[in-house]
Amino acid sequence: MLTAEGEPTMNRVIVAGLMLLVTAVPAAAQGPIKIGFFAPLTGFAAADGASARHSAEIAVEEINGAGGIKGRKIELVVYDDRHDSKEAVAVASKLIEKDQVVGVVSGSYSMPSRVTAPIFAKAGLPVTVAYAVHPDVTKAGPCVFRNGFLGQVEGAAGAESAVKLQKARRIAVLTVDNDFGRVASAAFIERAKKLGAEIHSEQVYKLGEKEFGPYLTKIKDEPIDLIYHTSYYNEGSQIARKARELGIKAALEGTEGIDSPKFLELAGPAAEGVTFTTNLNRDDPRPEVQNFLKRYQAKAGTGADMVGASAYDAVRILARGLETGGTDPKAICAALTGLKDYHGITGKITRFVKGEVTKPVQIQIVKDGKVRSFAVIDNPEVITPPVQ
Amino acid sequence: MYLLTVATLVAIYAILTLGLNTVTGLAGQISLGHAAFFGVGAYTTAILTVRHGWSFWPALLAAVAASAAVGALVGAAAIRVRDDFLAITTMGVNFVLVSVFLYFPFFGGALGIGGIPGPRLLGQEVAKPGFLALTIGGVVLALAVNLWLGRSWAGLALQALREDEDAARAAAVDVRKFKILAFTIGTGLAGLAGAFYASFLTFISAGDFGFPFSITVLCMLVFGGIGTNRGAVAGAIVLGAAPELFRFLADYRMLTYGALLVLLVRFQPAGLLGDDSAIWRRLRGARAA
Amino acid sequence: MIVQQLVNGLTVGSLYALMALGLTMVYGVLRVLHVAHAAVFTLGAYGGLWTFTLTGSFWLALLGAMAVAVAAGLAMERWVYWPLLAKPTVATLIASIGVFVGLEEVYRLVAGPEPHAFRVTLRINDVRIADVLVTAPQVLVIAVTVALLAALWLFLTRTSLGLALRAVSQDREIAAACAMNVRRIVSLNFALGSALAGAAGMLVGVYYNSVSPTMGDVTAYKGLAIIVLGGLGSVPGTVVGALLIGILETAFIGFVEFPFPRDAWAFLAMIVVFLLRPQGLLGR
Repeated sequence: MLTAEGEPTMNRVIVAGLMLLVTAVPAAAQGPIKIGFFAPLTGFAAADGASARHSAEIAVEEINGAGGIKGRKIELVVYDDRHDSKEAVAVASKLIEKDQVVGVVSGSYSMPSRVTAPIFAKAGLPVTVAYAVHPDVTKAGPCVFRNGFLGQVEGAAGAESAVKLQKARRIAVLTVDNDFGRVASAAFIERAKKLGAEIHSEQVYKLGEKEFGPYLTKIKDEPIDLIYHTSYYNEGSQIARKARELGIKAALEGTEGIDSPKFLELAGPAAEGVTFTTNLNRDDPRPEVQNFLKRYQAKAGTGADMVGASAYDAVRILARGLETGGTDPKAICAALTGLKDYHGITGKITRFVKGEVTKPVQIQIVKDGKVRSFAVIDNPEVITPPVQ
Repeated sequence: MYLLTVATLVAIYAILTLGLNTVTGLAGQISLGHAAFFGVGAYTTAILTVRHGWSFWPALLAAVAASAAVGALVGAAAIRVRDDFLAITTMGVNFVLVSVFLYFPFFGGALGIGGIPGPRLLGQEVAKPGFLALTIGGVVLALAVNLWLGRSWAGLALQALREDEDAARAAAVDVRKFKILAFTIGTGLAGLAGAFYASFLTFISAGDFGFPFSITVLCMLVFGGIGTNRGAVAGAIVLGAAPELFRFLADYRMLTYGALLVLLVRFQPAGLLGDDSAIWRRLRGARAA
Repeated sequence: MIVQQLVNGLTVGSLYALMALGLTMVYGVLRVLHVAHAAVFTLGAYGGLWTFTLTGSFWLALLGAMAVAVAAGLAMERWVYWPLLAKPTVATLIASIGVFVGLEEVYRLVAGPEPHAFRVTLRINDVRIADVLVTAPQVLVIAVTVALLAALWLFLTRTSLGLALRAVSQDREIAAACAMNVRRIVSLNFALGSALAGAAGMLVGVYYNSVSPTMGDVTAYKGLAIIVLGGLGSVPGTVVGALLIGILETAFIGFVEFPFPRDAWAFLAMIVVFLLRPQGLLGR
């Protein structure tokens, strides 16, 4: 308030006070940093969606609990893509325009990730992909970073484990008919042959298949050392059960698709001795890994799986980009492109090459009803992603 | 951009419901496999533009032609059956076609087809608002086709078919020709929607065209008012936009659809804006008064 | 190996048969495609699992599964199908689809989307005849199916109620004219068909050690193809059709290795039979 003659001292105090307020308020009123997150929260993939979501939330809670990113908290904007392309596209435009996120984490499968990646790329937003495997996801733009393995890498690592470590000479391959299955199996077969094994049979089955009698009866009486199957926990558990039911003695090796407590539950005693390639090592002594496993168990009531661990890392990686680059999407992108030697719970990322990681592949085994470490594949020839 | 996205998707749904209305509403033939023809259009567009470098426009025409052709085939098979049989047949066609899309590398197999380019006009890529205008143009076209069909001699014959197939046959209406015609037009429209869809999403895979989506489209038509064009459009708009408006209902969406279908059929079979619906009667009453 | 695969095919076919019978019986009396039958099947599985968890007895669980399924089937008949009889068939079909979709969602919301294990320790052994192995679970499935089918056949051919059922199935109006309580017969049909589906659901749950909300989907669609293939309304036709499809699928995986997805065979077969003999294999 100014009188006609002025009360300079009073005015100056008020103005000074206002100026102080104006500078102090932005820091607090800047509000949380919004990052987008989408996963199949409903529909057939809801279990994985839930796992991804729980884990992403754990990551955010940890970051915020430790003070956030330079004092600002992270806010996860979560959407359900229902594993449907149209839904994913609507979600993507919402995140960009309405929620105005600065970065996105895909906690979803290949289809929604693949259809949204170009949309985010066009909008200049950085995306970290937890576990989707389709090779084209990272080709959408220079700012898409995948935490998980490419199908090719995983298949090749599976072959190393099967042939070199488990000494399998004659192998039967069962492939699930989707992008992940086809790519991983193809890579497995190529590498296994290179290592001197014989691929006795190759069979393809549909996603969701439960009846493996016909497939396994065909190889029941053959001298097979190992059956390699790309599958998810539904099919993988059926394969294990039927194989044991038929009296097949061959070893069973799967992929990250069966990295889930559900596999153990549904396969029952048949799960014993099954190995699989994945990125989560439950025997990893590092505190961050064990803490995550404990927190996940407490939050979700079941054991953690590859999907969850990958989602956790994907959020953390984006957060690292925020820490080093700031909140400008371009800067986050640059920060992630230059990321070196990042220690995630799903393994150490040396760096991203065209959005793909070079990371050792874990081989886990089911022993006495628990998932334990079997081996680690870190042969550069195997784990380097086939991109230029 | 978000609104444009939702509006474009709704427009695509509207073309689908209008096409389904041609088959199910106008001609009284039960189709539970509309999504498959949608897929034929989408894949035709994708393959021609991505693998053979065709521009969007001729690919669009080819997509309509391809799905209409497949529709004509199914229509020809349909002449041997009626009602329930047809429902299962179209359902079967849906499953078989999706399996074909998924299995054979020609259709991209499990990996789908990506990198589908958008339409170009005068050397420029059509931007989002332009694309929306294009799809709305498609809706208008579908409406025009249905209106023309309804008012033409073919339309009268189809109406006769719908009322009583045997009587129509007795009156020497060539049942066979009209069934095939209805199918062909309806599926051609589905193909049109498919072409827009492929261009819009830039990536398609077999899972987009399964039986559940056929059900969703049927649901939209029934909800809006089966047998009427305004119902088809209304159903597409309401059920297409509803998920966005009612995100909090997200986990209960399919449950709501199911309950809606049952309740509608039992208590308000004319749907929202069908000829006998409460709302439409009130609207007409208001107009007459 | 051929006989071995035949066993596989027959086992799968038996499960299809139990499921499809309900469909054909309902069609027989109401001329309605009971798509929601799949939801009854799944409810049977959950009901069986729940009863088993409570009692620990396989047989009680089987009864529980059938009871729950019967209740659901009758409820559908009473509140959805019967009131819509006068309306065109499109209406009942759409309503059925609505019930199917809605119920599956209810299962998902109540029991969760992930599958539940259904572990039953079988006290029977594998059966070995020469080179052929019939595993214990397969023995169970085949035995229970044979028992249920035998019971159904006896009922339909040896009891007056069964005869009445077949009469109504042939022609509802004439049966009503003969003063048969058509309504009661229709309900009985639903009850029997649902009981079989409930048993099928539980058997599938046990056989694959997995109960999930969408477990009925594929079998339901396939069931529709099977009943058309076998002859709409024909009980023996459905059984033959189901076994045939089971064997066909198995053969194409086990021998021919024709690269065509398994589930599409039923529809392909249906379309072929349709074009050659529209009334189905054993239809009238």
